[in-house]
Amino acid sequence: MMFNAFRSELIKLRTTRAPKVVLACAVFLPMIIQVLISMFGYKDGVVGSTVISNMSGSGPLVALLLGVVGVLCSTQEYSQGTIRITLVAIPHRFTVLMAKVLTMLVVSCTAIATYLAGGLALSQLVMNARGLKFELIGSYGRIIIGFFVLVPLLSILGLSLGIIFKSPPGAISAVLLWPTLIEGMIFGLLSVALNKNYFRWAPVQNGFQLVRDVMDHELNSWGIATAYFASFVSVFVVISFISFMKRDA
Amino acid sequence: MIVVDRLTKTYGAKKAVDDLSFTVSPGRVTGFLGPNGSGKSTTMRCMLGLDAADSGSVTFDGKKYSELDRPLTHIGSLLDAGDAHKGRSARNHLRWIAATHGFPASRVDEVLQQVGLQDAAKTKVGKFSLGMRQRLGLATALLGNPQIVILDEPANGLDPEGIRWTREVMRSLADAGRSVLVSSHQLVELSLVADDLVVIGQGKLISAGPISQFMTQHAKTWVHVVSPQFEQLAALVSARGGQVERTSDGGDFHGITAMQIGEIAAANSIVLHELAPQTGSLEQAFLDATDTAVEYRGDLSVTSEVAK
Repeated sequence: MMFNAFRSELIKLRTTRAPKVVLACAVFLPMIIQVLISMFGYKDGVVGSTVISNMSGSGPLVALLLGVVGVLCSTQEYSQGTIRITLVAIPHRFTVLMAKVLTMLVVSCTAIATYLAGGLALSQLVMNARGLKFELIGSYGRIIIGFFVLVPLLSILGLSLGIIFKSPPGAISAVLLWPTLIEGMIFGLLSVALNKNYFRWAPVQNGFQLVRDVMDHELNSWGIATAYFASFVSVFVVISFISFMKRDA
Repeated sequence: MIVVDRLTKTYGAKKAVDDLSFTVSPGRVTGFLGPNGSGKSTTMRCMLGLDAADSGSVTFDGKKYSELDRPLTHIGSLLDAGDAHKGRSARNHLRWIAATHGFPASRVDEVLQQVGLQDAAKTKVGKFSLGMRQRLGLATALLGNPQIVILDEPANGLDPEGIRWTREVMRSLADAGRSVLVSSHQLVELSLVADDLVVIGQGKLISAGPISQFMTQHAKTWVHVVSPQFEQLAALVSARGGQVERTSDGGDFHGITAMQIGEIAAANSIVLHELAPQTGSLEQAFLDATDTAVEYRGDLSVTSEVAK
């Protein structure tokens, strides 16, 4: 049943336009940026950083867009009424939820793999053609792992917010505005008001820390940031699971 | 067989379904009737586990919906024809549903053909008319070739040919030994296909049983009489306690049987040109049965000053 539910979720995502467009943007937009940097950057012929370091700058963009895909994975069911058909076909709600989580994990990991492989390969081609000396990854394997932690977690956060909000506008606003605006305001103001670095505990900023080439010392270490961000996502996962299991469809 | 046993569902202070019990038998089409807001859709949602009932139970051949393995092969349902992503094609809509049970793509094509949508298989649902969406909803219900079919307003928005086709589908399913529960406001259509009726009002059961039993209990009966000596007959019938209502060609007698009128006429040498027992429609019987249970009632006497 679980495998069938997962297949069904994949078909749902593949057969509607919005998730495909956002997914394509998440993968190809930063890839294009990376190719442009490879083509037109380093005018003096000196490459001071690894290619993966440059690519890490797009990490938050990839993650936020996959968060939107997560939102669409759940909210489209409510906005289009298909949640009723889903639950009639699969009455065990936990199976439905796990299938959605698994779908987002597979989709986000595939997206990252495509972005990283495509970005690194294209950069190598272009920079080789330009005769530049460069390192692809160097000692920054941590960034690759960070991508595979941050992006799936943020996509699951989007999925959870979608289940809680049920409507795309509310959930998309939350998944985009919280990390880019609200979180900064709340923890920034707290830091100023209480004269202590509370920004260290801004959850999604800790998530973004995972793909930084230079670790931000105002934030937590890589390990603590991972645990803290994962805990933050877990809270929303639990709330969304409880509400989904109990809610009338 | 579907057994609904003392089902109760409350939303806040409102009891949407109140201690409701009825059965739906195999080989029969059971019409599910009630005024707007009477709890029909809530009952259907509770039956399918979409809404959690406060108390009571619903079983399908002895099992709860959540206990069914591969539920679409047991129960097919159409709750709302609008439950489809407008940007997805009809075929893709059925494909993701089929995938939940591992049905092959060929089964999707089969049901599309069954409901007459094979030519629109690649058309997006957003471009479908309401009638086409109903057909797609029926295709969803039939996908698993189920033994029990639950349909909420399946003929809504269909053209006359589509309505007749829906009727034939329901009849053929019942004739094949399947249980069919169908809610509809198209009472004429329902009277043509239903074997049994379950009538509810304000969440409570008003009547359940064969349609003939419902008509006997709730439909008006009278006798239409045409006679050249109508006034004489009317006086005699009135004297026996019958009520007379004149029509253009004669009159209708209430509260007395055709046999009694015939005997009165014979005893008094009254010539009869027509003596026809009449029964009211299902619509009239339904309206009479649910009159006290109507929750939303219009008032045409209300007209704003602006409209005047």
